[in-house]
Amino acid sequence: MKNILSLLILISSLLAFHSCVQEEDYDNSKQGNFEALWKVMDEHYCFFDYKQQELGVDWDEVHTRYATKVNEKMNNAQLFEVLCNMLAELKDGHVNLSAPFDFGRNWSFYEDYPENYNDSIAKLYLGHNYQIASGLKYITLDDNIGYVRCETFDEGIGDGNVSVMLQSLASCNGLIIDIRGNGGGQLTKAQTLASHFTNEKLLVGYVSHKTGKGRNDLSTPEAIYLDPASDGIRWQKPVVVLTNRAVYSAANDFVKCMKQCPHATIMGAPTGGGSGMPFNSELPNGWSVRYSAVIFYDAQMRHTEFGISPDIPLSMSGADIAEKKDTYIEKAREYLLNSK
Amino acid sequence: MRPLYIIMCKGLATVSMLLLSLCAYGQDNKEVLHSSMIGVGWSNILDTYLSPYNYTGTDLRIQRETMRMTTLWNGRVSNQSLIDVNGAINENHAGNIDEYAGGIRYSQGWFYNFNEGNVVNPVSKWNIAAGLAASGYLGVVYIDRSGNNPAQAKADLMIDASAMATYDMVIARHHYLWRYQVSVPIMGIAFSPNYGQSYYETFTLGNSDHNVLFAYPGNMPSMRHKLTLDIPIRRYTLRVGYVAQFNQSTFNHLKYHQYSHNFMIGFNKYLYRR
Repeated sequence: MKNILSLLILISSLLAFHSCVQEEDYDNSKQGNFEALWKVMDEHYCFFDYKQQELGVDWDEVHTRYATKVNEKMNNAQLFEVLCNMLAELKDGHVNLSAPFDFGRNWSFYEDYPENYNDSIAKLYLGHNYQIASGLKYITLDDNIGYVRCETFDEGIGDGNVSVMLQSLASCNGLIIDIRGNGGGQLTKAQTLASHFTNEKLLVGYVSHKTGKGRNDLSTPEAIYLDPASDGIRWQKPVVVLTNRAVYSAANDFVKCMKQCPHATIMGAPTGGGSGMPFNSELPNGWSVRYSAVIFYDAQMRHTEFGISPDIPLSMSGADIAEKKDTYIEKAREYLLNSK
Repeated sequence: MRPLYIIMCKGLATVSMLLLSLCAYGQDNKEVLHSSMIGVGWSNILDTYLSPYNYTGTDLRIQRETMRMTTLWNGRVSNQSLIDVNGAINENHAGNIDEYAGGIRYSQGWFYNFNEGNVVNPVSKWNIAAGLAASGYLGVVYIDRSGNNPAQAKADLMIDASAMATYDMVIARHHYLWRYQVSVPIMGIAFSPNYGQSYYETFTLGNSDHNVLFAYPGNMPSMRHKLTLDIPIRRYTLRVGYVAQFNQSTFNHLKYHQYSHNFMIGFNKYLYRR
């Protein structure tokens, strides 16, 4: 009986020692959802410091200003509008609110700028006989310049696909990689493609993540290197990457990598940016929120959240469009032929 | 990471592996009890790396346990080997996002039996045993949505304090055996990403940032309870039970809990070689 008593005392003391690990209970009112969204961003968003510097965004002031716009009489559509407007203060294409009836976004990074891309004209260069390797459309133009159209990094681009493509274009004097309008996808696919344009291991940037709830709780940036592709073909001739403002996220990272590659030249308009890796969370009412959580810097430890400047700026000429010519492709061909 | 910290982690891993290797030592295999159980119950998971809210749903559990007496300490030490597999299907309170969680825990424990009888072959009315166990867990929590943080890996290697008691209840000359066991992880190492660290950094770039942590009840206050009743039915023994697990952690400012309550049913197989 003494043993049993001892055991019971031991169990009781263990139970008393343990506490529950819990989060605050949710409040699914309009005000509760507003507070939940503000808090998710406050504790997890990685660019507050930078956005304060560049845009003057003070997240506490944003709370004060928008809290007065929320009340329990508003309907879901009105609440959604207020919440989206609050998020739009950050001017971040990776910050979104998803409800069953709408997708909140701020795409001003490209909507407020000239498109510098005409799909129907670009298609004239590809014609009908182009080849496709895992989403990469490619053809040899009549002046012996290779043209590759890469619309997304969502496709499963692998070393084999890239090598087959580069083998097919091996006799070309230069290569154009047209990523205009590429809104991103998988970072690893962008890096796989870029790895075929270097023979050396290159420092291409740094990465830093949140280490706590504080707005400036960030880890010491760690270097990111681009290793040369170990399998297949590596391109040794000049290559031009065509960019516009709709180049975003993983495509922005591709440009960041290509900037360091020895034979690469970036031509076009600045990219749209999007250098934060997005994470997802949710609100008490079930709406999903996406936010930038991890910062990617360039090789000089600069932010690329608002884009990367090209080596040679370009814009589409109205006269060229009237003649059904793509200024970007024509200038790139000229550049590559002159750099033979 | 500090060198002392690395030494501590390596030391704990070595001790745990030694304990695991001891499982074959000193077994006399005269008194062995095998038990297999399956159960269903309720699950509640919070993982703030994935979401700030609790996900609740159904938990499924399978346990395979072997208890045997050893020759250690004049035959008063019993060994328990336990494989515990669980899976949960949960959803958020809004009911629009699903969550899937699962994992496997393997443990080897050694118990000193305080009574003349023992917890394997309980000849006394009451039997008490207490000891230590080395346990390892591998699991995952996955939320069904796109993004760069859809899943969270779970892993730990712990030394648990554990105690059990059996009570032999006799009704109409039939022996019904009650057994209760509580286990508390007291020291070990566990894996966790840092607060906002992506798995791309961890696994693609190979960067680490406080990902292997020293775990103790202050940052991993967890408990596992198990209550069973063995019911003899002719030559067989039916085992019914209740398993409650409260696995919790607060690593790198990330909160996690996985609470589960399962009602279990299964069979025992006794092997006595006198």
